[in-house]
Amino acid sequence: MENIENQIFSSYQRNPLLFDEIFDQGGEVKDVYAKLFKLYGEHSINDYVKLNDKAKASFFNQGITFQVYGENETKEKIFPFDLFPRIIDPQEWKVIENGSIQRSKALNSFLWDIYHDKKILKQGIVPIDLINSSVNYLDQMIGVDPPGGIYNHISGTDIIKHNDGQYYVLEDNIRCPSGVSYVICNRTALKRALFGVFNHYQTHTVTNYAENLLELLETVKPKGVDSPNVVVITPGMYNSAFYEHSYLAKTMGVELVEGRDLFVENDFVYMKTIRGPEKVDVIYRRIDDAFIDPLEFRADSALGVPGLFSAYKKGNVTLANAPGTGVADDKAVYTYMPEIIKYYLDEEPILNNVHTYHCSRPDELKYVVENVEKLVIKPVDEAGGYGISIGNRLTRDEIETVRKQVKENPRKYVAQPIMSLSVHPTYIDDSESFEQRHIDLRTFTILGKDREFVLKGGLTRVALKKGNLVVNSSQGGGSKDTWVLKE
Amino acid sequence: MSLEYSITYKAENTYENWVHDAYWQFLIIPQLNRSQEFVEVDFRNSINAINEHSINGYGFQTIRIHPKKKFKSISFIARFKLLKKDINPFDFEPEQDHEAAYKTIEALEFRVNHAIFLKTTPFTAVPSKKLNLYTFNKEYSIFENLQHLNRWTSEHLLFKTDVTDVYSTLDEVLQKRQGVCQDFTHLFCALARLNGIPTRYISGYLHQGNGYFGDSQMHAWAEAYIPKIGWVGFDPTNNILANSNHIKVAHGKDFKDCSALKGIVYSIGTNKTRHSVEVQSTDQ
Repeated sequence: MENIENQIFSSYQRNPLLFDEIFDQGGEVKDVYAKLFKLYGEHSINDYVKLNDKAKASFFNQGITFQVYGENETKEKIFPFDLFPRIIDPQEWKVIENGSIQRSKALNSFLWDIYHDKKILKQGIVPIDLINSSVNYLDQMIGVDPPGGIYNHISGTDIIKHNDGQYYVLEDNIRCPSGVSYVICNRTALKRALFGVFNHYQTHTVTNYAENLLELLETVKPKGVDSPNVVVITPGMYNSAFYEHSYLAKTMGVELVEGRDLFVENDFVYMKTIRGPEKVDVIYRRIDDAFIDPLEFRADSALGVPGLFSAYKKGNVTLANAPGTGVADDKAVYTYMPEIIKYYLDEEPILNNVHTYHCSRPDELKYVVENVEKLVIKPVDEAGGYGISIGNRLTRDEIETVRKQVKENPRKYVAQPIMSLSVHPTYIDDSESFEQRHIDLRTFTILGKDREFVLKGGLTRVALKKGNLVVNSSQGGGSKDTWVLKE
Repeated sequence: MSLEYSITYKAENTYENWVHDAYWQFLIIPQLNRSQEFVEVDFRNSINAINEHSINGYGFQTIRIHPKKKFKSISFIARFKLLKKDINPFDFEPEQDHEAAYKTIEALEFRVNHAIFLKTTPFTAVPSKKLNLYTFNKEYSIFENLQHLNRWTSEHLLFKTDVTDVYSTLDEVLQKRQGVCQDFTHLFCALARLNGIPTRYISGYLHQGNGYFGDSQMHAWAEAYIPKIGWVGFDPTNNILANSNHIKVAHGKDFKDCSALKGIVYSIGTNKTRHSVEVQSTDQ
């Protein structure tokens, strides 16, 4: 461990085995952080604590909260925010941005194919069993042409930097990825607290997300509609991401609705308003497939709109993301991403995939069972970081339990080598100092008809618990503002 | 030659308390296909709510009702007049080359094209210890094997009502070895699929004039896909091929894709539901 000479970093402990985002191997500050490091160094740790409290207050005042589902109770929390931003230089960003677009486009082509000609399955590149056994593949979508040919309008790509300094994608979230509102609110909070510092850098804006989302959603309007009426549908105020749903509706300038605010008549969708029914053309839905229409999917869903799927099938309304998109967000499909990118785009993958062992394959299952302590074992169909076992953190008994679970239900699990997420100085309340914490990055990509957009920023999530590798917000993670510098 | 049928479907729902909002979706209109032609469709409900014609997720015609006023009871009556061509179910070229046919169904392309009707669903899942319950003898043609399976299924279960219900899985059915047309059909579909034959669940009406098993509800049977021949209907409840007494409404992977009536009713308290189906041949 080495200490760094700078007032607020005087007690910063650098573990040379980890990839530090701001200090190089020799302990020197990297160029892109130099100015920031100097500016922060002019302050005492007490100044910093005050500023940090001010930023936190701004979150409370804006009501930016989320819910954590516990075993016995559900709690409303603010998303812990760290004032020390993460900076990404333009060259690195170009790789991330192009890589995110590449993956989104490849996934879109994959989705079109598996709901139409199924060429990639017929050629055996992706095994048919993977699709057959996926609960997220919707037979009702076979042969359906989504407006504009787009399935995954909004993708959230989770990217990490490994200790080899390379970026790797961990997951493509294309059901209802959340987090973008925090990106924008983090920026607001940081600008309020540290306006002077922010002005020393030429940073891309993130506040243009909503206008781009609206514009791209309008490009996938149903046929025959001139200026589409767009709405955001939410499961309601008890959903963990309700703040984001209301934020996006507000900033796009469109209505935020719940299922009961809409109805379907003669296969068109209408919103109940005080001026009478108003036709709805594009729905940015933050409700999972199973709940969107109780007449077609789960009959016990009180969140959806009866008849919505028929309206969709007739081409009278656009749903973003399209129903059935979740099949490509399966962790088992993830492992075929390099093949999927080559197959549809005839390109080499720009971003790396983490090597994955499929427990459904007998030889790989054998390797996994024998090497649990060296691997991260994940269920293929759980979101939010639940059910993940990190091999080197398990006790002997826990390892046995994992072995048993995997052997009993091999299709349910994949395993990956333990990746070493890069670390970033993060202010820790308890020790009142900066410490290294693991981070990742979620980028937000929007696909429209012949257009795409990647938010130049993204959500840098921080694992606040010392040594914790799971950065998910529902698992006690925090976040940082992410600066993408202009060239 | 064509037969003329008149079908009456009735449903009656009564509720303990006022219902302020409700949706119903009926999947009861006979399908138009090469052996079925329409003469008339008449659908009414007791509170004069508007009928909306639509399609479900699998493209079959539905009627949806969304009453605009509160009610405590509602009844529906549908009358269909239909012309059914009397097609001989054995009217196809018998398979010559058995080996080639089995090769076809094993090929990846075939399995991908027919994936939807080869899949196991919760209703067509055979318990893991019974996966070899019925294995095709490849010395016979696919059609012959399916005929044998049809007979085997009809003999393996005893037709008995009120033993199983609409939620019964094959695990339960195979233990009791009793059930109704839905259970016979799920078992036939499951075993045919395990032998690599795409098989779909059919919901429809059965003209019972000839003493067939069924009941005063909708009937269920199966269609299996045979290479070079196409979809052939098997009624394992009655150990016959589907014929001019079988009037098809819809198909799907299992009962769940074909349920005749789906309702979303916003009300509290208890309710009562009654259905009946009557199929008459006007030629008799």
